[in-house]
Amino acid sequence: MNDNILEIKDLVVHFETDDGVVRAINGLDISIGREKTLGLVGETGAGKTTTALSVLNLVPNPPGKIKSGTIKIDGKDVLTMSDAELENMRGNDVAMIFQDPMTALNPVMTVGDQIAESIELHQHLSGKEAFEKAKELLKLVGIAENRAYDYPHQFSGGMRQRAVIAIALACEPKLLLADEPTTALDVTIQAQVLALMKELIERRHMSMLLITHDLGVVAETCDDVAVMYAGRIVEIGTADEVFNATSHPYTEGLFNSLPNLHERGEELIPIKGLMPDPMDLPKGCTFAPRCAYATPACEGKVPALRPMGGTHYVACDAYDDPNFRLRRNQNG
Amino acid sequence: MNQTSSVEILKKYRGRSMAQETFRRLIKNRGAIIGACFLLFLIVVAVLSEFVFDYDTQIIGMNPLALYAAPGPEHIFGCDNMGRDIMARICYGARYSLSIGIGSVAIGLCFGIILGSLAGFYGGVIDNLVMRANDILYAIPNIMIAVVVVSILGTSPSSLLFSLCISAASSFTRITRAAVMQIRGREFIESAYAMGLPTWKVILRHIIPNCLSPIIVQMTLAVGTNIISASSLSFLGVGIPVPLPEWGAMLSDGRAYIRSAPWMCIFPGLAIMLTVLALNLMGDGLRDALDPKLKK
Amino acid sequence: MADRNAKVLLEVDGLTKYFNTPRGPLHAVDGVSFTIEQGKTLGIVGESGCGKSTTGRAIIKLLEPTSGRIVFDGEDITHYSRSKMRKKRTEMTMIFQDPFSSLDPRQSVMQLISEPIREHRLLTSKEQIARRTLELMDTVGLARRFVNSYPHELDGGRRQRIGIARALAVDPKLIVCDEPVSALDVSIQAQILNLLKQLQKDIGLTYIFITHDLSVVKYFSDDIAVMYLGQMVEKAPSDDLFAAPMHPYTQALLSAIPIPVVGGQKKERQLIRGEITSPVNLPDQCRFLKRCDACQEKCASSPNPQLREVAPGHFVACHCV
Repeated sequence: MNDNILEIKDLVVHFETDDGVVRAINGLDISIGREKTLGLVGETGAGKTTTALSVLNLVPNPPGKIKSGTIKIDGKDVLTMSDAELENMRGNDVAMIFQDPMTALNPVMTVGDQIAESIELHQHLSGKEAFEKAKELLKLVGIAENRAYDYPHQFSGGMRQRAVIAIALACEPKLLLADEPTTALDVTIQAQVLALMKELIERRHMSMLLITHDLGVVAETCDDVAVMYAGRIVEIGTADEVFNATSHPYTEGLFNSLPNLHERGEELIPIKGLMPDPMDLPKGCTFAPRCAYATPACEGKVPALRPMGGTHYVACDAYDDPNFRLRRNQNG
Repeated sequence: MNQTSSVEILKKYRGRSMAQETFRRLIKNRGAIIGACFLLFLIVVAVLSEFVFDYDTQIIGMNPLALYAAPGPEHIFGCDNMGRDIMARICYGARYSLSIGIGSVAIGLCFGIILGSLAGFYGGVIDNLVMRANDILYAIPNIMIAVVVVSILGTSPSSLLFSLCISAASSFTRITRAAVMQIRGREFIESAYAMGLPTWKVILRHIIPNCLSPIIVQMTLAVGTNIISASSLSFLGVGIPVPLPEWGAMLSDGRAYIRSAPWMCIFPGLAIMLTVLALNLMGDGLRDALDPKLKK
Repeated sequence: MADRNAKVLLEVDGLTKYFNTPRGPLHAVDGVSFTIEQGKTLGIVGESGCGKSTTGRAIIKLLEPTSGRIVFDGEDITHYSRSKMRKKRTEMTMIFQDPFSSLDPRQSVMQLISEPIREHRLLTSKEQIARRTLELMDTVGLARRFVNSYPHELDGGRRQRIGIARALAVDPKLIVCDEPVSALDVSIQAQILNLLKQLQKDIGLTYIFITHDLSVVKYFSDDIAVMYLGQMVEKAPSDDLFAAPMHPYTQALLSAIPIPVVGGQKKERQLIRGEITSPVNLPDQCRFLKRCDACQEKCASSPNPQLREVAPGHFVACHCV
């Protein structure tokens, strides 16, 4: 069991607001192996960010509440840790990179000081040593050392995200949670930042949970992929399995919605309808109302993840019929 | 889609309008309801007092039999140094306080919105002119301005009203300008231009309606502040001239007798306090009700 | 290449827009020229700060161009006054990027969609306006029950449909779409793209499609123009551009797109270094100089390259091509 850095089992997170209960996560199981990168894919409101915050036990409470489940980092359950243990875990074992690099940095502190602060806190170095280390880290992420004395607003978007990565790396965490780290960046800069992250993770033997809505980014970066819909995993497996033997109708829908770079002109096939309201989830399979393959039976019960061979699992009861194939996989 | 049905369809899907939605949230707020009820009561009292009490005998006339009468069954709030019933005077005085408070805010609001939207929308020279003039007004205490105005125009309700307008106008100018500047940069303003709306329509239809919530809240709060200012000025003797039953003037009258007849101060003071409290409660309630989850 | 019978709807020649900043003029758009035929789509692609949005806004004169010429439907509108331009606003409209801030939060769907109709007095009776609004809602696929809803009650996809209905309300000839899908989720993105494409087929709309997402324009555009620091660096029919990109920046941009394919032969990624420089006080050199790998000695000493036709219909601004 100890070959997994992160293990989430049966996680349920609800937000109890005045207007009703928002069911953000409804029984989530994922695990990340050592030195592996898991891509968590899903659309707005699927519960991706809540998953990441749960790992750090940082779900805003109230209104958020982790109702049940276990989250084990390196074998230790995050949800039963004391405050002191949590503080030690955050940063030392797990670090997080947020989507918007501008709001993640403190505008009145120099970038060098911000990196040094994190080092000082967790590694008990003197201020001067920490600042020297901060400069090294900046060099590592491709920023000239003398920029350590600059403030975040003097940095461009790509450089800010590099600085955020430097802060996250400061204490050499084992696991990096990256929440849409490149969404706010231009494509050419996105490519630079992704390449940098990939290289650093490999070099430092870290694991990563990469949250994104962009299947392209996943294909370029991740070993394993989990597709999330309405607070549950609907398909999980290695990147090869999910991309080349796609099994869940939702995953298929995501692929069909993407404009293809190689062919032009044909109509896109969008997923019909909208993401369900997490306050009022449909009965049974939450994707059934939008699913092209749905049968009345789908409204009966929530499908469990079933093995599809290897490490590939999919939550779809259509496979009760052994001859069922997605259209994508029908010819060939 | 036959001829008659389109307007019908609109009616069929009629939901709650934004104003109704705001009202629904407002009546959920207990403080706002209490405040609103009190103000309503006060307005009714102010209107009725004209018919219930006789101005010459009960409000300003002397009554030697009841000098300094303590509160009791006959005079619930007691009587003052001239034997006038304090309750009658407070009821009657509500007319002055309310009309000066509301009137000064209303006039100040008109000027404030016009100047504030011009400054906020056009920026540049207009903004500089308006805002520097405003800064000067802000640097002088409101009471000082009022004292100057009143000493030039003489003490009368209208000069008091005028002097209070000035400070109200300057605070509304500030608030409107800030709100307009924030709205001006939003994409829907550009979208209105792209549709071909002339500038004045853009301001009137899209900018001002979206600035209203902070302005409405400020309105209720400003009425309260202006009632206090009016009372303070009357207390200082530069507000409403003496025999008129303005609350601040009554407080000022009672000051000399605070040991022997404390009710002469207590009741006008309470009247001011409760009115301002009611206005603030309502302002807070409105702020919560108007804060639409529109921003995100 | 061009169909000889097709009518040119928009002709832009040497369009320039500078903004005055304390540090000097900011060259947001610097000498952009192109033509669009009726019923076609021109995609304008580039990264943030390349001037693509400013170009779109200057064309429909939401921003006053510094210099250049805009001929729309045979009429030179470059120097039209605001009030004269207002009448033209029924012919050219715009769809905005952010469906959350581009709709007035205090207006209902009915008011939002009918506003352009009422403003231009296209219809006057209440009944006609209501009918037209409902028709428009049907056209863009917005359920009629939302007619009295407010934007904050709706999700991004539906809001963007309102934005499209507003743009369609006046029967325009040209619609400038400024990143109309970049704020939406993929599955919703596909719905909106299909809708826009269907509308073009049905009523022969002409689009200027501004985006940073090359895969979206490929799907959508007949011609694509790539912009960098206020200038057009490459312009070609969509297929040609993707098949044989010539400008080093276009090549880098194409190669940077993450492709959702696992396994198979992975193309070697070609990363460009550095980031876009400030468009203030630009020297008279190739603007891509400092980030370019193909850069040769002559690039540093020559003036800023201009667009030239290197293959039929394929224009590139590079000394090395």
